[in-house]
Amino acid sequence: MLEQLILNGIIAGSIYALIAIGFTVIYRTVKFFHFAHGVVYTAGAYFAYTLIFLLHLNFPLSFFLSIALSALLGIGIDRFVYYPLRRQNASNMIFLLASFGVFIFLQNLIQLIYGAQILTIRTGPVREGHHFLGAVITDIQILILAVSIILMILLWLFIQKAKLGKAMRAVSDDPIAANIVGINPEKIILTSFAIGSALAGAAGILISFETNIEPTMGFSALLKGIIASIIGGIGSIPGAVLGGFFLGLAENLGIWKISAGWKDCIAFVILIIFLLIRPSGFLGTKTEKETI
Amino acid sequence: MEYLLHILVIAGIYIILALSLNLIVGYTGLPTLGHAAFSCIGAYTSSLLALNIGLSPWIGLLIGACVAAFSGIVIGYPAVRLKGDYLALATFGLGVIVYSIAKNWVSLTRGPMGLPGIPGFSIAGFQLSEIWSYLLLVLVFVVITIFIINRIVNSPFGRILRSIREDEIASQALGKNTIKYKLLVFIIGAFFAGIAGSLYAHYITFIDPSSFNVMESITILLMVIFGGMGSISGSMVGAVILVVFPELLRFLGMPSSIAAPMRQMIYGLLLVVLMFKRPQGIMGVYRFK
Repeated sequence: MLEQLILNGIIAGSIYALIAIGFTVIYRTVKFFHFAHGVVYTAGAYFAYTLIFLLHLNFPLSFFLSIALSALLGIGIDRFVYYPLRRQNASNMIFLLASFGVFIFLQNLIQLIYGAQILTIRTGPVREGHHFLGAVITDIQILILAVSIILMILLWLFIQKAKLGKAMRAVSDDPIAANIVGINPEKIILTSFAIGSALAGAAGILISFETNIEPTMGFSALLKGIIASIIGGIGSIPGAVLGGFFLGLAENLGIWKISAGWKDCIAFVILIIFLLIRPSGFLGTKTEKETI
Repeated sequence: MEYLLHILVIAGIYIILALSLNLIVGYTGLPTLGHAAFSCIGAYTSSLLALNIGLSPWIGLLIGACVAAFSGIVIGYPAVRLKGDYLALATFGLGVIVYSIAKNWVSLTRGPMGLPGIPGFSIAGFQLSEIWSYLLLVLVFVVITIFIINRIVNSPFGRILRSIREDEIASQALGKNTIKYKLLVFIIGAFFAGIAGSLYAHYITFIDPSSFNVMESITILLMVIFGGMGSISGSMVGAVILVVFPELLRFLGMPSSIAAPMRQMIYGLLLVVLMFKRPQGIMGVYRFK
């Protein structure tokens, strides 16, 4: 039982970590809470559903197409909502509320198109999982774990090695100095939205292979992603990974004794404890503490 | 006619909610995304007291409001120590925690099945079952709320709240204990939200956790922002418009599977448009810093 809960925690944690990294990549450049990130996750799952069932594409192709579409959605949200607000020099709260508005709008648009009922992408019979160290793991769960770890490594290499990744770090550290040395901030913001949204979309697609999808699924996923990135240390990518796995494990071990409905509650109690006792999270820096 | 009166009762309850949230968000400048949690606590307290020990709804309403005010201390204590985005997120989280307690503590709240058969108010043996009599009752509470909130914001206490909103560090420098004032504002706001929740429960006679979810908190916040941050008449206008307007969708003959998401889409769009064009709302004096 305990082994199974730890395994479930790791699987959930890898999804939370993907969402949290995407959220962090965007947060680092724009410095506000992009709530609409959650609806990109939902959209990723629905893109995959549409491509697989309505256009009859195969799994790998629809996986990559859906990631591309999610990235486009993220860019679109930035262009049509955040870009005009940036030009008005709007405050963080205004960005936050506008992104909430986008979240509500798009989530209900999805509900209007596909209906409120749950949909399933999984085809064929459910196969028995493999036994591994006293726990059962299915093929799909192995896929989720493998793909999310590959994506995390790819992102890490991109940020550390690629020229664009280095520029992203520069903008995150000091936007004005980055601008002086000739980095176009708008280009970096677009890149961040594309990468962050692609990761959220990927998380949504992966989870849709494992469970059912519904229009409201993005909400709790978004909250878990934000909580993971705060307890990991807001703005830190390794922190987001750590926070994601920590949250996944904490939630799943927490429901060992109490019912599964309390998961959201556990997550927020952890968040509030962190905000009060260690607002900079596991890996956050001192300077970020002051803004909290 | 019955239908029209019903809309007015609901609008009245939302006016109380919007006014109490405006005190926190508009006058003190604390972005709060979990206001429905307080009305949830008020509603459940007074309904459970009425159903389980047969307490009169009048006393239940008062106890519900006091329990909600107490929860304002519990929720406000961690929240008022945070700033801006983090305060919004923390209050949001506390809203989710209260919602999931209502949903998961099945032995007390019956969880998602809700509480049916909540008794209504009665005055001297006369049951307020007619809708117009209930409307009068709600109106009395609306007037009391407007009166008290108006007195609060125009008192020296209200001036301190506005000074916290404009510049918290400056008010601290003047020797004001801003943490204490922010906590007090949470308690007062929670008290009125508790009254509104209790009025709702005894009017509809059925409550379940979904009446107090996060979307509900956002709707109340939208009423405050739309009407005007830091304006009493603004909150009233905001509440009435946002209650009445979605009802018009019904007259367009939309089935509810379309009308429900449509209504929320309009809310979402309205929030975005307001942030673009007029973040302080139609009659507001303050915009988020």
